[in-house]
Amino acid sequence: MKLSSGTPRVIHGFAACAAVVLLCLPATASAQQGTLGFVITLWNLGSYETRFVDECPEGLNVGYDEYWWRGLSKPDRATLTENGLKSRLQRYFNAIRRGPNGEDVCMNPTAVTDPPLLLVEGDKAIGMDLDDKDGVAAGRSCPHREFTGIDGTAGVDNQLYRLLGCVYGFRSYGQVEANENENRKSNGKGMTLIEITGVDDPRNDPDVTVNFYRSIDLYTLDGSGRFLPHGSYRIDMYNGKPRYGSSVRGKIENGVLTTTPGEVNLPFYGNYTYQNRLFRDLRLRMTISPNGDSAEGMAAGYLGVDDLMFYVGSIGPIQSTTISNCPSIHVAANQIADGHPDPKTGDCTTLSSAFVFKAVSAFIVHDKGMRTAGAGRGLLDRLKGVFK
Amino acid sequence: MSTMRRAWRLTFTACALALLAACSETPKTTGAEAGMRLLTEPQYRQTIADVFGQQITIGGTFDPLVRTSGLLTVGASAARITPAGLEQLDRMARSIAAQVTSEENRDFLLPCAPADVRAPDDTCAAQFFGTTGRLLLRRSLAEDEVASLVRLANVSTRELGNFHDGLASALAGLLVSPEFLFVIEQTEPDPKREGALRLDGYSKASRLSFFLWGSAPDDELLRAAEAGELHKSSGLAEQVNRLLESPRLEQGLRLFFDDMFAFETIGRLEKDAIIYPAFSTAVALEAREQTLRTLMHMLLDEEADYRDIFTTRKTFISSALGRIYRIPVSRPDGGWMEYEFPEGDPRLGIATHVSFTALHSHAGRSSPTLRGKAIREILLCQRVPDPPGTIDFAAFNDPNSPAHTARDRLNVHSIEPACAGCHKLTDPVGLGMEHIDGAGQLRTNEDGYAIDASGSLDGFEFQNVAGIGPALRENVAAPACLVNRLYAYATARVPARNERKYLKYLEGEFADDGYRVPALLRRIALDEAMYAVKAPSTRPARVTDPVTGDPS
Amino acid sequence: MTVLLPRPVTRRSVLRGALGGATVGLSLPFLDLFLNENGTALAATGAPLPVRFGTWYWGLGHTPGHAIVPKTRTAAGIEFLTECQALKPHHDQLNFFGGFNMPLDGRSNYTHFSGWVASRTGTAPSTNSEIPAPTLDLLVADHLSNNNRFKTLDATACGIARENYSARSTNSRAAAEASPEKLYARVFGTEFADPNKADFKPDTRMMVRRSVLSAVNDDRKKLMQKVGASDRARLDEYFTSIRQLENQLETQLRKPEANQSCAIPAAPRRDGAEQNMPQGLEVDTVIANHRVMAQMMAMAVACNQTRVFNMVFSDNFSHMRRPGQTYTHHLLTHEETPDTDLGYQPVAFWFNCRTMEAFATFIDAFANIREGDGTLLDNTLIFAATETNYARVHSVDGVPVFSVGKAGGRIKTGMHVVGNGDPITRIGLTMMQIMGVPIDNWGTRSLQTSKTISEILV
Repeated sequence: MKLSSGTPRVIHGFAACAAVVLLCLPATASAQQGTLGFVITLWNLGSYETRFVDECPEGLNVGYDEYWWRGLSKPDRATLTENGLKSRLQRYFNAIRRGPNGEDVCMNPTAVTDPPLLLVEGDKAIGMDLDDKDGVAAGRSCPHREFTGIDGTAGVDNQLYRLLGCVYGFRSYGQVEANENENRKSNGKGMTLIEITGVDDPRNDPDVTVNFYRSIDLYTLDGSGRFLPHGSYRIDMYNGKPRYGSSVRGKIENGVLTTTPGEVNLPFYGNYTYQNRLFRDLRLRMTISPNGDSAEGMAAGYLGVDDLMFYVGSIGPIQSTTISNCPSIHVAANQIADGHPDPKTGDCTTLSSAFVFKAVSAFIVHDKGMRTAGAGRGLLDRLKGVFK
Repeated sequence: MSTMRRAWRLTFTACALALLAACSETPKTTGAEAGMRLLTEPQYRQTIADVFGQQITIGGTFDPLVRTSGLLTVGASAARITPAGLEQLDRMARSIAAQVTSEENRDFLLPCAPADVRAPDDTCAAQFFGTTGRLLLRRSLAEDEVASLVRLANVSTRELGNFHDGLASALAGLLVSPEFLFVIEQTEPDPKREGALRLDGYSKASRLSFFLWGSAPDDELLRAAEAGELHKSSGLAEQVNRLLESPRLEQGLRLFFDDMFAFETIGRLEKDAIIYPAFSTAVALEAREQTLRTLMHMLLDEEADYRDIFTTRKTFISSALGRIYRIPVSRPDGGWMEYEFPEGDPRLGIATHVSFTALHSHAGRSSPTLRGKAIREILLCQRVPDPPGTIDFAAFNDPNSPAHTARDRLNVHSIEPACAGCHKLTDPVGLGMEHIDGAGQLRTNEDGYAIDASGSLDGFEFQNVAGIGPALRENVAAPACLVNRLYAYATARVPARNERKYLKYLEGEFADDGYRVPALLRRIALDEAMYAVKAPSTRPARVTDPVTGDPS
Repeated sequence: MTVLLPRPVTRRSVLRGALGGATVGLSLPFLDLFLNENGTALAATGAPLPVRFGTWYWGLGHTPGHAIVPKTRTAAGIEFLTECQALKPHHDQLNFFGGFNMPLDGRSNYTHFSGWVASRTGTAPSTNSEIPAPTLDLLVADHLSNNNRFKTLDATACGIARENYSARSTNSRAAAEASPEKLYARVFGTEFADPNKADFKPDTRMMVRRSVLSAVNDDRKKLMQKVGASDRARLDEYFTSIRQLENQLETQLRKPEANQSCAIPAAPRRDGAEQNMPQGLEVDTVIANHRVMAQMMAMAVACNQTRVFNMVFSDNFSHMRRPGQTYTHHLLTHEETPDTDLGYQPVAFWFNCRTMEAFATFIDAFANIREGDGTLLDNTLIFAATETNYARVHSVDGVPVFSVGKAGGRIKTGMHVVGNGDPITRIGLTMMQIMGVPIDNWGTRSLQTSKTISEILV
């Protein structure tokens, strides 16, 4: 019985290695280095919300449907909404085409001029200080109000939150994010793999490399639909190279991984929309659980206005539940963008942002071909006695 | 040289040669009475698959068998069929017969088509029953037997108005007949030994076929039986070689290990979904497949030393198992991947497979006692006595120093004399495996408490589960156990007293053969012992009370 | 006192000789009728309602001191304590038997095994797998249930088919129906003949099947000559099973009598999450399965599909567990520390309470079916037992036994029967006698008895 020989060139999750160490292994082998792997299971906007919506003193924003309705004559209102009986979803196809010449205002946000978007006015936000305070002075960012982080950090930059924080659908109880996570869980699109290589000590290591890939394998779930750790995920390859594969450097201190800023391409899927999202100056801060089975953290960086608007516009009929409005978001996004000024115009093209995420440990499988099973041996030696 | 010396030398040489011959001569056995054994569920399924094809589905429940001498196949030699059991078998028989004669299957499963589908066709029916009946009853049918089957089909066809339905009815009867469900061995006078009996050709064919292929004899083996070839060593050798070289040998050996390792309950293995979320029925079934694949690959493909199954790092992994073992799995075709546990990983050999560690555990935690017992009984063929009835644990449960780990919980068993006798057989072995939890996953602690996994097996000490494999490999009982189980499986009965010398001899030969299993299979299949049969006892069976000795 | 009910006579009704180690007399031809003084219950049609027999099994006994108040003399009135609260409403349908012992005569007490084997077969096993004689339900079935569709119906709610506490011998033990779906398919599936359907046509296929089985039977003589003495008994049992199958077919070829009590239950369906996770031994699953199966079993009996039935709630080692807990019911009985204030093992006690609640559910299932001018339970006798008294120490003395039902008016109920150390086989003997099995002594060695428990006879 012959089977396909050749295990994948694979990097071990370290939990197994750690366990092995305790079992009295003879110390040998050169100092090879280990790898940690994770697959992101939940990804949400870092949106700070208070119980009484204090951050939106003027209330939440009006949506496209209201704007459309406001622009209709009374008889039109009656007909087009069937005396108010038609649901917002059913009305969507008319409402969205409220451009003067019937343009879809999400695809063509400049076709109409709407009242300005209500922005977040609060002081607190989830996020990181991305422009290192002197960003404006150094010509790297545009003037903008900064937040205080919920952990007390000063100078937090999160213009994406400022932009969308008062739009119902993008808040935590809105539809957008709930859908996104459900979609990804069931169809396996837009699954991000985080691979940490060069790890000598999974709890403390001053120098590691963090790589990002897209998984082509679906999540592994248990009988109740919870994410299971230690699954194996192949990375998306094209012509022998990973289709993603951005890399940044980082360090681990007491189980918390932080990375230096870098340009990172991440696969993204949500609400029927697929995107290659480019994050600039992306930093990761991720806390790994003591047994290595799971992790959670924050990813903060600059997201292009165009990337954002592509997504906001592509949500399509789901807008009927989000109470959002593309034209006003478009204008505001361009106005409050705070990163990466266009060299010619000086206008900023990206929005500072923060995303919170959860992950479970994963084996990240590269192409076929045997990686020596001994990878991680030196790691094992160093772990002796560390783990209880 | 003087004549005297020459004579001495000749005598001496002759004696030496005789001695030598005696040493290497296979011990004679007288066997046991010819038996009547029930087809086990796997044998039933395999036979139907071999006769009618894999596409035939069989649902229904079989009566449970009693595991005897470690094997269900041996228990089958005493099994009876209850009314409920026969009802199930009857339903299965009708379902199989309906499938065989269905539109999809009839063109290639039936040798002929009726002249008129609404009327009987005795010629076609005769053709069908002649060939199929032979394969199902494992012997040629006499003319009157075929005739009565044809008659039955004829009458049924008239009642039901359809040839295929009528044929199916008669076929269902065949599938529920005692000569199909039971392998009824027949003897005949042995022309080579005055007054002695031998198994007839068909019975030899059945023993051989169920031994090596787990199924009824095929057409060629039946032909050889009919021609008397199985009574000649050359004829027997030819068939044994044929069976050994066939890819169906793997099927047969799988059935054997399934029985020896008691895998029949693994499909129903339940683990607590909260404590072990990664475990599922799929994992349980794949765990069994992992072990069987590993065994087949090592023992058949590589003809490795049997004892290496306890220390091999090589195995096969599927994606569900990858999550349990915490190893990466590439899924090129969603199937199985060869894998070798790295140096330093404590998981060596089949005793660390999920199919062993999870099967012999509780739903929510591991069990050193169950694992120790399983190692003793399944791998070493040793008997662990039953627990005594009257034990009060009151003395042991101290609420002020709760037991955190299994070792703590079992500590009392090694202290209390009434418990220690048996628990010292099981616990020191099982406790060595505590780094593997109840679902087969490696762990470093039990709920935060350190695990002391030192143990021993018959004097071989080890620090943790990495030592279990080598301990088993060095244990002389392990290969002896395989020999005994295989022989019991081949003869489908508990080995008789007169076979003990032969079994010892076989164990020696197994060692000389480098513990290669195909060689052992060949030896058993070719030796006379497997077919030895003795005359039925004329005294009525007497049961005596094991305690008082009185007849009961 | 033996009672025989008239039944359709066939030449196969006669028992053949001794069975196992117990002595069973030959049955008498139906002409010898002994009616009790009160007369048998009559249905509207004038024909006597059949009395049915069943067993109900639960694993791991009771919590001593918290189940039933012990008494010193047999008398009316059972006092239920906390663990058996659920049985209070059924007091008048029950008898409780306490203080009966199981002398093993030096044979080992095979934990969780000897207890049920000795009490159900009359003989203590001499190995951990031996079933030395037929269980009492089969003796009753041999007497009563030969012309029903099923000789006995055996089911289990805990999903372990091989743990069927009804067996003829070690090697003759059927698999119990282990899920509601299986039980339903067997009884109410395609071959069920609805007695209340207006039109009835004997199914040609059944007639054909009957001919086929009859042909199988034809080979009997020839085959018996081919096998040795010990195997002849096994072949004989096979042919008995063939005959039972033939009987089954004959039953289905007869138009069933109209039966007001019979209503086909709805097929069991699993919704949503249940479909994906049939965790058979989680206690809630066992309870849920048991409830459904109890109703099906009761209806199967009401529809006269069988006259003898066996239901297992939890197996003898009760592997029942709760999600997220490492301990099973069995492990708890050994490893749980008794609470010093309560005086018992709290979680083990919890499982025992759930078990008694399930028992009440089973009783309800029979009590809720109207039959004649009473209920199905009035015409049933159930032997409800376990294999140990206090599971923690595996004691087999004082193993609690209940009888349920009025057996067609033949027994008194609401009694607490005190055994005073007598062998537990007195209970089985009495029940068999009530069911009309012509037996005047049962059991072997110290378990042998001929003393009927006359206090419960009417």
